[in-house]
Amino acid sequence: MKIIRKSTSARKVFSMVKDILVVVRNEFQTMFKDRGVVIMLVLAPLAYPVLYCSLYKNETLIDVPVTAVDCSRSQESRELLRHFDATQNIQIVSRFGTLAEAKQAYNQKKVHGVIFIPADFSKRINSGEQTTVSVYADISSFMYYRIINQACNNCVMAMSNQIQVERLNANGITGESATILSSPIPFEGVVLYNEGAGFASFLMPAVLILILFQTLFLGIGIIAGTSRGENRFHVLVSSSVQRGQTFRVILGKSICYFTLYASWSFFILMLIPRAFNLPHIGIPFDILMLLIPFLLASIFFSMTISVFMPHRETSMVVFMFMSLILLFLSGFSWPQSNINGFWKVFAWVIPSTNGIQGYIKINSLGADLRHISFEYISLWVQTAVYFATTCWAYYWQINKIKTKSENQVEDQDDNLTEDSTDAVLN
Amino acid sequence: MISRPIYFISTVLIMSFSYVFFLTFFNEGQPNKMPIAVVDLDNSSVSRQFARNLEIMQHCHIEMRLNSHKEAREEMQRGNIYAFVEIKKNFAKEAVSNLRPSITFYINDGYLIAGSLISKDITYISAVTSIGMQQKILRAKGVDENRIKGIIQPIVLDSHLIGNPWANYGTYLLNVILPGILQLMVLMMTVFPIGVEYKERTSREWLKNSDNSMFAALTGKLLPYTVIYTILGVIGNMLLFRYMHYPLNSSIGWMFLATFLLVLSSQAVGILFIGITPVLRDGVTFAGLFGMLGVTFAGSTFPIEQMPAGTRIFSNFFPIHHYFNIYVNQALNGIGMHYSLLSVIALLSFSIFPLFVFIRLKKAAINQNFPIK
Repeated sequence: MKIIRKSTSARKVFSMVKDILVVVRNEFQTMFKDRGVVIMLVLAPLAYPVLYCSLYKNETLIDVPVTAVDCSRSQESRELLRHFDATQNIQIVSRFGTLAEAKQAYNQKKVHGVIFIPADFSKRINSGEQTTVSVYADISSFMYYRIINQACNNCVMAMSNQIQVERLNANGITGESATILSSPIPFEGVVLYNEGAGFASFLMPAVLILILFQTLFLGIGIIAGTSRGENRFHVLVSSSVQRGQTFRVILGKSICYFTLYASWSFFILMLIPRAFNLPHIGIPFDILMLLIPFLLASIFFSMTISVFMPHRETSMVVFMFMSLILLFLSGFSWPQSNINGFWKVFAWVIPSTNGIQGYIKINSLGADLRHISFEYISLWVQTAVYFATTCWAYYWQINKIKTKSENQVEDQDDNLTEDSTDAVLN
Repeated sequence: MISRPIYFISTVLIMSFSYVFFLTFFNEGQPNKMPIAVVDLDNSSVSRQFARNLEIMQHCHIEMRLNSHKEAREEMQRGNIYAFVEIKKNFAKEAVSNLRPSITFYINDGYLIAGSLISKDITYISAVTSIGMQQKILRAKGVDENRIKGIIQPIVLDSHLIGNPWANYGTYLLNVILPGILQLMVLMMTVFPIGVEYKERTSREWLKNSDNSMFAALTGKLLPYTVIYTILGVIGNMLLFRYMHYPLNSSIGWMFLATFLLVLSSQAVGILFIGITPVLRDGVTFAGLFGMLGVTFAGSTFPIEQMPAGTRIFSNFFPIHHYFNIYVNQALNGIGMHYSLLSVIALLSFSIFPLFVFIRLKKAAINQNFPIK
């Protein structure tokens, strides 16, 4: 240290860079020597996106089995059932005479919906009255009910319109005026950004960012917990670190995490959406600009919390369940506008929320940086705040170890060299 | 067990936090009054009436009135609105002169839940507007009032949702997420207390204290957790079915039983994990990854049947998958318990798992031949 103090400023910078590089190298070495860390920081971010994308790759449900109870047994009812069957989404796998029998099949989970056509169906159609078709849908998964309802609705509407024109003709309204009357104010719903209403396209962008965040968070927690658990003073940073070197340790470590996660991000956010055909209309430059503050904020957030991890397993046991909570807090499913005040603030504090929202908006909705200025600025604010808290937490830890070791030296004149040589700048 | 805070945190604290979080988060049942925009280029009494009609719908709230399509699209990309309706110029004029003016609405399905709920409402209001118009013209043409109904809507679709008629989002999600967190924590806290004995090299004493019987040692170790997590799970059931009044079409006792079996079978899987590698860190990692996958494999978010081939078989290895089956049968469908018999047997048969690793665990406890790090 004496040499550094006496040297010129250029050499000071040089030695600092050298120190940081030593920390980076050591951190990489610790990471890749530790199987648990490799699983969390390497294997999980590579395997999880592929696994989840493969599980949800079907996007929508195809040929959901339903049963029909046709009490009308008429040409009209058969025609309607044929239309149902012809849709992509549902398939009539069985027919029963009574609702009770159909219920039995439903209870046995052979079908996920029941279509009931009443006995007077064709009579009412032919006498110009209104008639009803009932559909009973499984709601154990929302996907079932949405798909079944949608398919039935479309078919009924189509047949309804056809009958309407016939009835108008019967009332002496024909030709162009019948067309106008059958739909005087046509309406059209345009689905944007997820045209097929796909489940994966909706869920996966949020999950991808969350995988980045959670593996980073848990991985850093494992590393910190390990070094605390193994350290003789039960503090985070090993004894070879001098006072005043806090900055170098933090910078070195964060460079290491950042480099690693920058490459994972390229894989997860650029390649995976293309490989699995998830929405990817964002401009890569914008994603990059969002990614930098997101990764930095996540790293510093994790490093701050990691100081409190007494053992390597702690972070896994205590924070794994947070993945689910963070996913909902991000507002990708239950909309942000409807999250109540307290949880909104709670969500804002965690980098994953702004990361997920920013990423969805850029990559799914085609927004550019000026549209996501709120998320973007929030992430930079978080980066600054969590960097400060990390510095404070590490400074506190380094001070603690100094005080402890000085006390010990006074007490028993123990030489610390043994400890400091094997201790790397964790 | 009381010595380290982790034991308290991972049982009572995490489960309570999850209950409080999810119950307050999904309190509303369905997201109501979500922000949408109207681009009204006509600004006539007809178009304003349309907007007012939209305002009364459950899911919509007109947050902003904008002047152009571009503006509205940008608001959508900012995430400030989930849909917008565009009413063209001369809408009212064309409507009265039978020129079929059209209404176009744009839905943001990037946020699927918000998008599909709002889409339903706007479609409904658009249809009502169109039907109102039809009614007016038919009356003007002198069609008999009794026949008008049949002409306007010849076939009505009457849809029923079995077990959850309000399509309550909380009912749908919490009944899988809360047990999901429960089984995750049970897995963790089966692997952790056992693994710690191996890590801290205290496994010999642990075994000695129970007269060298692995069975007694494991039972003694895990019984407190069985009790605690079952109580926490039952509290969860009470919260969902009694406090929140989520649909329960059979006795709550069956749900208690299912919860108890979920705890038991998750513990069995946990023993298997720590038995395969009696190394704490690996055990915890496996348990965590497996527990998280459980939520997907329960089959609630996306039906297992529609996932790639093979997942159906694979899903049977997740206790929560069988728990979810019992829940659907008992709480949602309210059918006889004999339909769930297979799921109960499946849950019980998880208790075979520890037998595979019994000897290995005992040997490892005595020899202590596994790395501690």
